[in-house]
Amino acid sequence: MLPTLPTLLDASVRRRPKATALVWHDVRWSYADLAAASAAAAAFLERRGAKPGDRVGLLLRNCPQYVALYYGALAAGCAVVPLNPHERAQVLAMQAQHCGTSLLAGDTAHPEWSALAKKCREAGVGIIPVEVADDAAALQGYLDQLKTTSATTGPRPPHAVAAGDLATIIYTSGTTGRPKGVMLSHGNLAANTASIVEYLELGPADRVLTVLPFQFSYGNSVLHTHLAVGAEVLLEDSLAYPHAVLQRMQNEAVTGFSGVPSTFALLLSRCNLEDYDLAALRYLTQAGGPMPRANISRLREKLPKTRLFIMYGQTEAAARLSYLPPERLDDKLGSVGHGIPGVELAVLHADGSPAGAGETGEICARGANIMLGYWNDPASSREVLRDGWLLTGDLGHFDQEGFLYIDGRAVEMIKVGAFRVSPQEVEEVIAALPGVEEVGVTAVQDELLGQAVKAVIVVKAGASLDERTVKAHCHRNLAAYKIPKQVEFAAVLPHTATGKVQRLRLV
Amino acid sequence: MSDSLHDTIRRFILENFLFTDDVSQLALEDSLLGRGIVDSTGMLEIILFIEEQLGVKVADEDMVPENLDSVSRIAAYVTARRKAA
Repeated sequence: MLPTLPTLLDASVRRRPKATALVWHDVRWSYADLAAASAAAAAFLERRGAKPGDRVGLLLRNCPQYVALYYGALAAGCAVVPLNPHERAQVLAMQAQHCGTSLLAGDTAHPEWSALAKKCREAGVGIIPVEVADDAAALQGYLDQLKTTSATTGPRPPHAVAAGDLATIIYTSGTTGRPKGVMLSHGNLAANTASIVEYLELGPADRVLTVLPFQFSYGNSVLHTHLAVGAEVLLEDSLAYPHAVLQRMQNEAVTGFSGVPSTFALLLSRCNLEDYDLAALRYLTQAGGPMPRANISRLREKLPKTRLFIMYGQTEAAARLSYLPPERLDDKLGSVGHGIPGVELAVLHADGSPAGAGETGEICARGANIMLGYWNDPASSREVLRDGWLLTGDLGHFDQEGFLYIDGRAVEMIKVGAFRVSPQEVEEVIAALPGVEEVGVTAVQDELLGQAVKAVIVVKAGASLDERTVKAHCHRNLAAYKIPKQVEFAAVLPHTATGKVQRLRLV
Repeated sequence: MSDSLHDTIRRFILENFLFTDDVSQLALEDSLLGRGIVDSTGMLEIILFIEEQLGVKVADEDMVPENLDSVSRIAAYVTARRKAA
């Protein structure tokens, strides 16, 4: 049978049924527990009318229910649409409707849940409220509820799928506010999982602590790669209390931890890593944008025995494209390494010809992990998928030895922490505010997050606006990380000869 | 615990995370993380506020939800630390 996430999980269940799969607060689920929960979830979804090929939306933070429903939906032949818990209800509803979600499961305590469920119910989507309590009794109650409301509770073979069948749609920031759903197949996810397992040398003795949200491709890959090898996944959904996270890593003898640059910036700025016994910590992984070299050095200094993997990827590549072997950190500092197993990387000029060593061009990639395309958007898909290559929109160059360095982005995007923010999306929201004549949005440097959003606004004659009104309007309409940290007012904005706002001159 | 301390903390959170002065937007017991009002960097800003504006150094072991996840909890924590000083 073709390897898929459900068959990989099944194999882990058969090999290690009693081993711990998930740890969440004081709850531990063995692989047998997770198998039972996902089988019950699959049967439950089918009972609610889910059919192979249907899209099932999930608005849940990192919790066992998310994992059970994810694997349950896949086992039922459905595609999972993980919704970004930071987004506002109107955006999430637009995404759910864009891909024709037929069922939507969500955390009833999520601040946007009521509004989202209402909008989706009105559009004919089946609503599945999930109570996410964090104690063992409540979780058992959830499992019992799934079992009693589903037709079968025993083990069940996953629905047979082909490599090219759709497994998930992950919405990502496009250059406009329009929804852009990255379609990943079962084959994409399985290929990327196998590659990552290989180069990180993951095994059943590993215990990873995840603070990365599963709704994004990086967190998604951390979850699935570890379940595929029968390892233990400790769930966290925030780094708001970094000391508590480090304490947990020490207490649980965690072997792996993954983060984006701001994750490590936060840990290094607020915590003394040497105060914790992290002797079991075998590896760290970092992706989601360039990490300042000073922080790479500090991490290595404080955790000399831990292998640090600097990586690069995209949602469009099911997560991962390249990694720098830790033993090359000294001589290749600043590089994102070379292609992961099964992935070929190229740097191409605009005319499609390969760039020579040291020459900057667009980074392109091909391999079994490259997405099927964007949901219901063949034009955008054609722009980035050409002749079997994914055009990443990132600029970079190879050195003489073929190590890749990122030089910037061809497409204008602001990178706030690990999030990509489209300046145009923020401009469109602010432009809708009464009193705004014109607005331009750009990136400014931010010590912790790498970049932050800045808006420069021209106010209409006779109107008045202040910073708080602008931010409050953004708060109502945008995810928190998209709200401009800086708001300035100007008499005019700089324009190009063709009348476009020159965003780079707004800094 | 004084009302003014609660007010100061609530005003800071309303101003910096909800962009309003409408106190009805934030109950004293509301979970800051649970309601999605702050994230991990937001919590860092709150800690800096406690240290720089309220004059209480937040020890590593004190950075837990019991001390920081609502206006009331922050106020109780700050009051206790001031008394202990």
